[in-house]
Amino acid sequence: MNEFIRSLQSEWMKTRRTAASWLVVIGAFFIPLIMIVISAVKADKLPARYQSPVFWQNHFANSWQIMAFLLLPMGVILATSLITQIEYRNNTWKQLHATPQRFSVIFFAKLTVIILMMLQFFLLFNLGIYFSGIIPLLFSKAAQYPPQVFPVAFFLKTNLYFFIDCLPIIALQYLVSLQFKNFMVPLGTGIALLVAATFAIQWKYGYIVPYTYAALNYFQLRSSAVQPGPAVNIHLLAVGYFALFIITSFIFYINKKDKC
Amino acid sequence: MANYCLQTQALSYSFSPDHPILNNINLQVEEGSIYGFLGPNGAGKTTTLRLVLGLLKHQQGSITIFGKSLIENRREILSKTGALIESPSLYNHLTAIENLSLLQKIYQCPKERVKQVLELVSLTETGNKKVSQFSLGMKQRLSIAVAMLNSPSLLILDEPTNGLDPNGIIEMRELLKHINRQQGVTIIVSSHLLSEIEKLVTHVGVINKGSLLFQGTLAELHDRQVQQSMLVFETGNDVTALRIIRDLGLEATAENGKLLMRMMDKEKIALVNEQLVKNAVPVYAINMHKNDLETIFINLTNKV
Repeated sequence: MNEFIRSLQSEWMKTRRTAASWLVVIGAFFIPLIMIVISAVKADKLPARYQSPVFWQNHFANSWQIMAFLLLPMGVILATSLITQIEYRNNTWKQLHATPQRFSVIFFAKLTVIILMMLQFFLLFNLGIYFSGIIPLLFSKAAQYPPQVFPVAFFLKTNLYFFIDCLPIIALQYLVSLQFKNFMVPLGTGIALLVAATFAIQWKYGYIVPYTYAALNYFQLRSSAVQPGPAVNIHLLAVGYFALFIITSFIFYINKKDKC
Repeated sequence: MANYCLQTQALSYSFSPDHPILNNINLQVEEGSIYGFLGPNGAGKTTTLRLVLGLLKHQQGSITIFGKSLIENRREILSKTGALIESPSLYNHLTAIENLSLLQKIYQCPKERVKQVLELVSLTETGNKKVSQFSLGMKQRLSIAVAMLNSPSLLILDEPTNGLDPNGIIEMRELLKHINRQQGVTIIVSSHLLSEIEKLVTHVGVINKGSLLFQGTLAELHDRQVQQSMLVFETGNDVTALRIIRDLGLEATAENGKLLMRMMDKEKIALVNEQLVKNAVPVYAINMHKNDLETIFINLTNKV
């Protein structure tokens, strides 16, 4: 366990000043910033909006719309590929593999860093959502702080679902990124599957494509009448896909003949 | 019996069945030595060193380091080994201290060690400068610091002087000598230029096309140099001289007005000279033409 913690600390240090670490911060505050700008432009509509008994649910759902369909999967694709690219770009795989660590420790420490970065993103994004709900009150004297008690349980549960739903993307991107030195391969794979997911979403069996889950979760969040959502539990499917991709990725990684 | 820090037995490797890269390599690196692993580009040096570090999947033969099998004791062996394989392996977006600190966590060495190795390679003043802003020489020195961080007993350096200017090469040589003498570290250093490491190494291994052609001390290589030297006779009558030499049961060839003979002991040289003079053949000069080590190396590598 100590070996894993030390490896994790080492892997986390490598993310300093990387594009992936900036992507997490910028990506998390991008939508909240836009929400604030929209509120500032439509300041006259704020009083009515803030009086809604489900203000936070609406605000949360609005914030997640583009995020669930495009930015979250795209961000996960980019961040995962960029983290593994740190070793390829710096020609450091050989140095890393010549350290006295189990290969399994290296594999899971790197994966944990990606997952921790995702958690960091979720934390910052939710902070952004909260502040993008509060800051517009400065633009309108007529608008009042929402009377609704902040729905902590709703936030936690929905976040947890979105998080679980992006796990298969992390796992598949990790698998591809570890196998190919060329950054364009994991990126291209990710974009292609994301495009496929946008089509698959309207298909009855769209849930087969694991990149659809964040969007499908959004439909469930909105209780969409247009898109009622699949009859299966997509979160369980997401966990299943995640396990499948990670096991496959681990087998490929361990059996790689050349660890340079 | 010599105490070997690293030993390989019948080490063979191929990327595909019909394309062998290494063939029956038996390396023997004595403890405390500086072992020059020489060979032209593509000879199999890097593949051998990658196998020794466990970076390539082992196929045939055995690798023993510190008296233990690499396959069964990989982590224990690597904890006492430092390496620089080809180009520097550094995180360019981090500083020198950050590069070392992240490895310090893995090796569990004291934090002071980071400062010590930076002092060792004279890189203490780099501060917040990112590695991407370093010159190649600085990167190579930092790579040595990385390799030295865990106070290794064995240092494996693959072409550490690649891309360095003459001053950089001299600095690197002095640094490695210092590490070997002061800290007793066994060093394996590969190169494709004998002249580059001739002044550094105590032992030499020459590899070409995947086969080890020579292995021994630098003194043994020098002996071979003497053995391969030629005696040059300048005489007034090469035709008669050639006949007299052959009558003595020795071999000689005439080239450019000179007679060339394989190096032999002093008594035989005196005998040849005496017989030539006795038979009225004037002898103007007897010289030894010594092949330099580079020529020996080229001769060795051209044999295969």
